[in-house]
Amino acid sequence: MIKTENLQKRYGNFNLNCSFEVKKGCITGLVGQNGAGKTTVFKALLGLIYPDGGKAEIFGKNITDFTPEDKEKIGAALSDSGFSEYLTVKDIIPILKALYKSFDEKFFIRQGEKLGLPLNKKIKEFSTGMKAKLKILVAVSHKASLLILDEPTAGLDVVARDELLEILREYMEEDENRAILISSHISGDLESLCDDIYMIHNGKIVLHEDTDVILSDYAIIKVTEEQFKSLDKQYILRVKKEPFGYVCLTDQKAFYAENYPEAVIENGSADKVITMIIRGQEA
Amino acid sequence: MKGLLIKDFRLMKSQINFFIILTAVTVVLAVFSDNPSFVPGYLPFVMSVFALSTISYDEFNNSSAFLFTLPVSRTGYALEKYCLSLILGAGSWLFALAVTTVSGMIKGTAVFSETAAAALIILPFLFISVAVMLPVQLKFGGEKGRIILMIIFGAVFLIFVTALKTGEAIGNDIQAISNPLSGVNLKALFAGAFIAGAASLLISMKISCSVMNKKEF
Repeated sequence: MIKTENLQKRYGNFNLNCSFEVKKGCITGLVGQNGAGKTTVFKALLGLIYPDGGKAEIFGKNITDFTPEDKEKIGAALSDSGFSEYLTVKDIIPILKALYKSFDEKFFIRQGEKLGLPLNKKIKEFSTGMKAKLKILVAVSHKASLLILDEPTAGLDVVARDELLEILREYMEEDENRAILISSHISGDLESLCDDIYMIHNGKIVLHEDTDVILSDYAIIKVTEEQFKSLDKQYILRVKKEPFGYVCLTDQKAFYAENYPEAVIENGSADKVITMIIRGQEA
Repeated sequence: MKGLLIKDFRLMKSQINFFIILTAVTVVLAVFSDNPSFVPGYLPFVMSVFALSTISYDEFNNSSAFLFTLPVSRTGYALEKYCLSLILGAGSWLFALAVTTVSGMIKGTAVFSETAAAALIILPFLFISVAVMLPVQLKFGGEKGRIILMIIFGAVFLIFVTALKTGEAIGNDIQAISNPLSGVNLKALFAGAFIAGAASLLISMKISCSVMNKKEF
């Protein structure tokens, strides 16, 4: 659905250069710190900025050749932008109806009611959660084949976040040929949703892995200085010095659990992995 | 384009009180003024400025970035602003003309052809004003655009006044300048003005499309 090869964009000292792929039927997560380049990637894919180099294709078509008709097949949500806040949900309905041939008005109204979005209230009076829900609702209400969602869960409480992820799961269940690219700086949000995760740091993809593999095979090993000296480092990806000794990241949890029963081994999570990839040193 | 137009009209709905006041002022002026012919002159300009205010609405909260994730092209966005300006300008022009004509007929002070002719010459100036305002607003945005437009209109006014004063100083008064025009066929003058207005709109559209195509959000 999406394929980028060395997609480049320069802003002063910041250089984005990344390659990644989002496959049909998959939910792909893009995680990274604030300022890592996630929004730049999304803006480039959506044609809001012009790449300085590389290639980006959506549905096999170069993004620079995209027409409004092509854009009808994409549902997008941006973290820092949405419909004018002087509009109401009721105002948005005819706009979407005019813009998208496949806009499902009944679904939009029904889901809006379910999510507790008032029809006649101006968006500027909405809470953060309501604004986020509206953005997602707009993105899923016109039978798009692909969703591109930048930080849709930012600033949400646990309940609102769960409701939002539920909408996305339902969207995927409706049609197996759909796909989602979603970003978050809180990667924990994405673990329960994504099939695979790309980690981005300083504009570069530093890791790509299936979420299941991150959760099952990656681990954080905590060892003392003595234990560290005797530790087999062939499967250690990153090391970080701590006051008590060392914290290590591995993608072979079973190996260390079996051979180093005295070491403290914590299950991997996207958050832990990205923290170690960024802050740790190569072993 | 239809979707964007709906969006802009919905946005303007929040300024409905201003529109009501403007309509009331138009009617009052047309009914009570001794020379209501200026009404079709001022109303379209005020209304076309409303199209500019929608650009500020779009920029507020970085909303324009989201707009371009919708099935909207950059060129389509620019052209929609022209459409909106002309719908508002021409619509209010027709309204003002109708009110002035009806009022003139009731009072028996004016005939339709005279009012229409006076109003007709306003249109090319409306086109030129839209042609100047929109690219500036699209390029520099709501706040900066307004300042730049004020500078442009200020400069035009200054040039006009200076030219007039210089003309007087060298003995060519305004009568002398306008005398040759009296010989010109009025229809040709109107046609020329309309062609100039339309041409300025076309050039302006091209500039606006190019401004939008270069923009990053």
